[in-house]
Amino acid sequence: MAVVVPRSFRLLAELEKGQKGEGAEGCTWGLERADDITLTTWTCTIFGPPGTAYENRIYNLTIICGEQYPDRPPTVRFNTQINISPVDRHGAVNGLSTLQNWNRNYTMETILENLRREMVSPQNRRLPQPPEGTTY
Amino acid sequence: MAQQAGIPKRIEKETLKLSQEPPPGINAQPDSGNYRYFKVLMEGPEGTPYQDGLYHLELFLPEGYPMEPPKVRFLTKIYHPNIDKLGRICLDVLKDKWSPALQIRTVLLSIQALLSSPEPDDPLDTSVADHFKQNKRDAENVAREWNRTYACKS
Repeated sequence: MAVVVPRSFRLLAELEKGQKGEGAEGCTWGLERADDITLTTWTCTIFGPPGTAYENRIYNLTIICGEQYPDRPPTVRFNTQINISPVDRHGAVNGLSTLQNWNRNYTMETILENLRREMVSPQNRRLPQPPEGTTY
Repeated sequence: MAQQAGIPKRIEKETLKLSQEPPPGINAQPDSGNYRYFKVLMEGPEGTPYQDGLYHLELFLPEGYPMEPPKVRFLTKIYHPNIDKLGRICLDVLKDKWSPALQIRTVLLSIQALLSSPEPDDPLDTSVADHFKQNKRDAENVAREWNRTYACKS
């Protein structure tokens, strides 16, 4: 029988990885409130990759891991304004392949890495961007 | 999934014994959809600030169990120097003192014992531990108050 790691122990492992700074390059994640015993609301950052329109910018995102996570994908939105294909004009991330083809083994790190890869994709890397530091 | 190896014997035995001969003040039930995931209820030991409280915990047996220790967390908020804001527990048998000879039962009894004898010199939450070290009586009052607020819901 397959071993299924329950939601909270999965999220605690993700938290520890984030705290140790062992995550993917240019991405961080942590709990929005240090005492959120439900492990639901996460604050994340992506550092814009060099050589793109996102260079030198720090993007702040919120990820909500609901009751069904990781069986169901989390809700992801940008707080910092951004112009990029998987994100709508309100900051909601709804066109990302990781979220559309969600798999239980994916993590918040997978999502953030996927977004950072989108930033360097030919389709997005030269898009005009909103003024720096503006939020939704 | 091709391999239907079933539930490992050791886990099956432990689960059965937990329900047939539950340790005093402890109830551990496996989740209906996940035989490695247990919902635990633990009574706060008498004569401690946690007395009359009923604490919810969750326990998970990782793939490496019993070579690896179970993972356990409090779901009820508790003011204790060895338990942090997210319910994580600092206890040697859950880490380097784990041995495959120990069981779910022994781990839960150790956690219950930790409620009776906090160890502020081996803290997980340093601000709570400092409080216990500097003014035990006052810290225990806070623990009692949290116990009433979070663990004594009817």
